Amino acid sequence: MLWLCLICSGLCQQVPDTLSAARVSSVRDIPLLRPAEEIRGGLDSGQIIHLAEAVSRFTGIQVKDYGGLGGLKTINVRSLGSEHVGVFIDGIQIDNAQNMQVDLGRLSVESLSSLALYNNQKSVRLQTAKEYVTGASLHLTSSEPSADRTRLRLRGGSFGTVNPALQWEKRIGDLSVRASAEYLASKGDYNYPWFDTTLVRENGDIRSMRLESQLFGALKRGEWRLRLYGYNSERGFPGPVIRRASGFPFSAERQADRDLFVQGAWIYDWTSRYSSAIRFKYANNYTHYATHPEKNPMAIPYDLHYLQQSAYLSLAQSFTVSDYLAVDLSSDLQGNTLDSDSGQGVAPSRLGICTALAARFNLERFRIAAHLAYMGAYDSYADAHAGPWSKEDAWRDAWIPAASLCWTPFEWLEMDVSAKRSYRLPSFNDLYYSLMGNSALEPESALQTAADLFLRTSRGSWTLEARLSPYYNRVSDKIVAIPTSSQFRWTMLNIGLADIAGIDLKGSASYASGPISSCFSIRYSFQRALDHSTPGSVSYGNQLPYIPMHSASADFSVSWRKWTFVWNSQFSGEKWSRSANTADYHIDPWTISDAALTRDFHISRISEQACIKISLRLANLFDRHYQIVQGYPMPGRSFLMGVDFSF
Amino acid sequence: MKKPLLFLCAVLCAAACTKDLEPSMDILLEGNKVDVSGYSDVCRKLFVLNEGGMGSNNATLDMLRFPGGSYVTGAFRKMNPEVAGGLGDVGNDIAVNGDELWIVVNNSGLVEVISAVDETEIAAIQVPTPRNIAFDDKYAYVTSWSGAYVSGTYDDKWGYIITGSSNPKGQVYRIDLNTKKVDGSVEVGWQPEGIAFYNGKLYVANSGGISSQLPPAYSYDNTLSIIDAAGFKVERTVEVAVNLKNVWSDGNGAIYVSSLGNYWDVHTGMYVLLADDPSKIALVGSGTAIKPEALHVSCSCVADGAVYCIGTEDEFNWNVAHSYYVWSCKIDDYASGKCTISLYPQTLSGTPYGMTVLPGPKHYLILGDAGDYFNPGTVSCRALDFNDGETFWSVTAGVCPGHFAIW
Repeated sequence: MLWLCLICSGLCQQVPDTLSAARVSSVRDIPLLRPAEEIRGGLDSGQIIHLAEAVSRFTGIQVKDYGGLGGLKTINVRSLGSEHVGVFIDGIQIDNAQNMQVDLGRLSVESLSSLALYNNQKSVRLQTAKEYVTGASLHLTSSEPSADRTRLRLRGGSFGTVNPALQWEKRIGDLSVRASAEYLASKGDYNYPWFDTTLVRENGDIRSMRLESQLFGALKRGEWRLRLYGYNSERGFPGPVIRRASGFPFSAERQADRDLFVQGAWIYDWTSRYSSAIRFKYANNYTHYATHPEKNPMAIPYDLHYLQQSAYLSLAQSFTVSDYLAVDLSSDLQGNTLDSDSGQGVAPSRLGICTALAARFNLERFRIAAHLAYMGAYDSYADAHAGPWSKEDAWRDAWIPAASLCWTPFEWLEMDVSAKRSYRLPSFNDLYYSLMGNSALEPESALQTAADLFLRTSRGSWTLEARLSPYYNRVSDKIVAIPTSSQFRWTMLNIGLADIAGIDLKGSASYASGPISSCFSIRYSFQRALDHSTPGSVSYGNQLPYIPMHSASADFSVSWRKWTFVWNSQFSGEKWSRSANTADYHIDPWTISDAALTRDFHISRISEQACIKISLRLANLFDRHYQIVQGYPMPGRSFLMGVDFSF
Repeated sequence: MKKPLLFLCAVLCAAACTKDLEPSMDILLEGNKVDVSGYSDVCRKLFVLNEGGMGSNNATLDMLRFPGGSYVTGAFRKMNPEVAGGLGDVGNDIAVNGDELWIVVNNSGLVEVISAVDETEIAAIQVPTPRNIAFDDKYAYVTSWSGAYVSGTYDDKWGYIITGSSNPKGQVYRIDLNTKKVDGSVEVGWQPEGIAFYNGKLYVANSGGISSQLPPAYSYDNTLSIIDAAGFKVERTVEVAVNLKNVWSDGNGAIYVSSLGNYWDVHTGMYVLLADDPSKIALVGSGTAIKPEALHVSCSCVADGAVYCIGTEDEFNWNVAHSYYVWSCKIDDYASGKCTISLYPQTLSGTPYGMTVLPGPKHYLILGDAGDYFNPGTVSCRALDFNDGETFWSVTAGVCPGHFAIW
């Protein structure tokens, strides 16, 4: 099945794991709140190059995409700001103390069994404490190999994109192993219009290599997991499209990255009532960024090197008090360091703790989850060129409460309400870097309230689902860069305030009978995200930058025997790149449509599971020229062809 | 570097003003009405250059038309719809020369020449990283950072090893006023900024703004390059203070140079030197009853033989809203350098970003406020040395209104 279809199926085939299962399963394993969006299974079908593509259709999400495969892609959930979105792989956060943003363009969706977005709270047993404290979270869950299998895949398409991958899976008794390698190269030389001419995007190429191995072990009453990850890339940043004297390139900026991490988990049920989980991670990320003024005389000369390291240890405990009540206690300890040659030689480090006490009640048709978390961090730095930063403000902490109530009055109806206050710490950039650090910053706070109404009914071959989710968020003490008494020195202050009210709607109809299965789903988001920072300013009361008031998408998929066809259209309404909502900063609405076709060929001569899958995907079918970020044109029509051979 | 010109252009203007205005196409442009009664005869137009944000390609040109008082935003794009990309990325300086308006567009690498009569394009001249502009009667002179760079690698202890540097100093480019073509350049100090012309000499402020961010030195430049315009050679280099920004000529023999300080422990200040003996440099206020500590410079301009500045106390406190004061300095005796320093009654708030003072018997302060530097700022007009600094009008401009020129 194709990936667009999966997004569809996230809605269509969300198996009744929370509805009717609520009464048969114990309080132990149920997620008390339904994820806002979820894709289960089939994520390795080969049609998604990176994670940002997979989540871009989710309701309430804005993907910020600078274009091309090398362009930064971050997500913003319900206008909280991308720093409030935690991305977790098997419960362990991918963190970035330097800027608090995760580039989804670097994460592969292969070997994932599910992808789930929670708008405020996820409540399952044995979570890490960090899973309790992020405002919104995207959870990536690895699939465990189920059989011996080898996969060879080759994809290629427009703009010089080549993407071969190899994956090997093996089961040996209680142990299963997966090793994979993936290479991606793309020239990113797509055309875009510039007034009455057409230009070609330059310096948008990327080469990357990912090597990964995973081990899964079964214990008598538990399991353990280990993952080794290595990523290496070298890319150009094509820069914003601006008026440029002929002969000067827009940009000659290059960045090389080397990310390594090892993470593991050991989960054990000591008794039927008490379980614990230990998780750890060590990450080592090196970045070299250079503007190459020898190639671009217009560049401000920077040649910067960053080395970030983090070490993380988590202990989670879960105690099932009765059939109705379970209590969890999770504690995390984390250290981060950043070495670099910018920021006048400041090498900051952070020691953070995080603890959460959570309770889950399951009373037949009522389910209640609540937690109280505490987060604290102590910052220090070694300074080669001393700046006037004091250590007085080095300790920051916050309490994070959350509660949710879910009611299932009928088989076909579920309702929930939830509220949460979360905080995000200032990043190292906010505190110390770019000539604008301010070590007196407080954590930025987000208040989230939401409700959901979920309907589901099946009649014969048909399944109908609908979901309606109104919400209100307030982000206060928002960290904003503002100029100081000198035009040349900016600082970061906790002065931003944003009020966000919106509603997400989803509906789907699916049909399965004999060789035919089909699904149609539609999503709509209304979002009013208002800047309430400075009364009387030109931006007060206006829509926040890059947040469309209206956005929508429609998916259609149909499978017949070995064929699958998928269509998707996505609409993003008008928006502005500044909170001064004036004509100069207006971004036109756009609608983008994609289509894909896949055919499976089973080769029983080789083995029972041997299969060749051939797919063709056309993206931006109608060759619309559009921008998500002002000044960064997106590619026009493109194709991607793939051959996937597994045995 | 627009104000030293004021005098130049005031002279040129005097000639131009007498001749009949040609019919101008830009009369069709509509703008916000502002009340300019009382000073509508001092000039024909006030041009405002909004810098925009780097990489946002949103430099814009506003224009206040006298008489009538109509404030038109985005005049360049409106009058030149065929110029792809509008004015470009990061406007850095603006100056009138005769009936031409010269606009320095820093990150587009262009010096744009337009008609002051109707804002239509005359020429776009390529100059790498141009910063500020001045004129004599044959040439325009543009300071340029000129691809300054140092490259190197780091050893495993984060020590910097320089592997190459190329042309690390900046240039002054010379552009022929008739052909609108670049005609040579001369090397000056690190990252030159302001430039002024007086009596055959060019005065160039070297900032070192990039050097301060780069290993191994991490230090600002502190020199003023004095160029003999006829020979187009640096004649003399004098040390003034760290991180120099603007240079103004008062038209009578005094050269003012502002320093931005180092943002840590060296404050901003205005320095003055006499063209006859550039080795004698004084910090404005030193040796007077008003101490230099009360005479900071966030932005400045020159008008009617005096330099006007806006400054704030407590410059190194980054966490409070600042209040700003306005002051001026005028040389009384060019032999001794004796001057009069005036403090005005206004207390300004917000983020003053650029200023000019309209000439005339009463001085009107035109102030550009950058707001949050990201969204459009405002341009306002208030009394300077009369009416207790009363504000007459305020209009929404473009992003970072920082540079003014009077025609």
